[in-house]
Amino acid sequence: MDARFTALLRPFLKPAGPGEITLTPDTDLRKLGVDSMQAIELLFAVEDTFGISLPDEELNDTTFATAGSLWNVIAAQLPAGAGDGTAGRETA
Amino acid sequence: MPDARYAPLDALPRTAPGAQVWAALGGAGLTAGAYRDRRPGTGIDPAGLADLLTAVDARFSVAATLSVSVQLATALPLLTTGRAPVARQALDGALAGRATLALAATDVTAGTDLTALRTELRIEDDALDVTGEKNWIANTTTAAHFLVLARHRPGRHFTHFTWVLVPADAPGVTVRPADSALFAASGAGHVTFDGVRLGRDHVLGRVGLGLPLFARHIGTERLAGAQWGVALCRRVLADTHRRLAGRPHGDGALWDRDAVRQRFAAGLLRVRALHALTVELADQVALRHDATAAATLKAAAGATVHHVLADCAQLWGAAGFTTGGIQELRAQAALFGIGGGADEVVLGTLADAAEDVLAALERPGTLP
Repeated sequence: MDARFTALLRPFLKPAGPGEITLTPDTDLRKLGVDSMQAIELLFAVEDTFGISLPDEELNDTTFATAGSLWNVIAAQLPAGAGDGTAGRETA
Repeated sequence: MPDARYAPLDALPRTAPGAQVWAALGGAGLTAGAYRDRRPGTGIDPAGLADLLTAVDARFSVAATLSVSVQLATALPLLTTGRAPVARQALDGALAGRATLALAATDVTAGTDLTALRTELRIEDDALDVTGEKNWIANTTTAAHFLVLARHRPGRHFTHFTWVLVPADAPGVTVRPADSALFAASGAGHVTFDGVRLGRDHVLGRVGLGLPLFARHIGTERLAGAQWGVALCRRVLADTHRRLAGRPHGDGALWDRDAVRQRFAAGLLRVRALHALTVELADQVALRHDATAAATLKAAAGATVHHVLADCAQLWGAAGFTTGGIQELRAQAALFGIGGGADEVVLGTLADAAEDVLAALERPGTLP
């Protein structure tokens, strides 16, 4: 997960308690407040920020389940070398 | 001095139904004025939209204005997401007023539970199949095309829905008018799709983007509702003021009584507040698709129209019950709290954004 992605994702996440969220590929987006309305805004933000369109077949609940699953779909649409493809641990 | 632009509207009877008003707007080239650079694909021009809604509201019924409003604010911009010739032709026809559009989102299920909708879209290699029913849709009895929100997968996830353009004359489409004297002029009705077969080119936008597109375009409908609410309240207050000033009471007129003036002033205050909010938030909705701003406008319009019309109706007394009088108008205007997002839905959206709204109201550096 690159820095642009984590920076984009951060405002959509609502921590359940005090302290910062450790963002990993397994981070459950829904549990951190990304409901339907938030996910719609996240989708538009992703497509605007990266200048891509997520493929129709990837528009599903699996893609939006975790930070890693979303990043993997984004990375697959980026020019070669623009996305590192796999995610390191980030702090949001 | 009346604006000559609206002469084609003045030529119609006050009882003209929405489809006739829509035809006059398009025929006179007025419809395009609701959009930036007069192109629906570029988005709403808030001032142009407000002008048209105000002009239509001043001349025709709430039902007719509803018919126009939903097409101007939502259906026509949504139709621009279709790139195929079939969508282009439908757009050209609607823009020119040759045809009306029906935005068919509300299903047989509750309108407040949109992701429970049952209308199904089956996507095959080279065809679409639409089956389901939509209820209480404006322009149903007059539409040349339905913009149908359907599900292409089971479940409630926001990516499971797609817009599809369905010609009203396609085999399997059945229309029946709603049982509503109040909204007959809007073409309100119910439509059934029974295995309607269409080409893949009838998808609007992209498969899976149904709810995201709806979220973006319903925002402009909520802005339109607030602009229309200002126009409606202003004209009702003006009519009421004339009535009160000319109605003898004691040695003067009803308008001279403090209780009447204060009640009237409360209405003025409400409509000025709605107007100010509309001016403040219009660009946030039209340019930045701000869902919270749109919900704020819709909630404010619902409350304002309800209170202003109730107070004015009280001030009209028994005369308010005249056929076509303010009590009838008040019943129609209950639409403002129901259509395009019920009060409860938009207040819920506002509550979801409570922390952000409160933060935006802070004055930096002033709090302990």
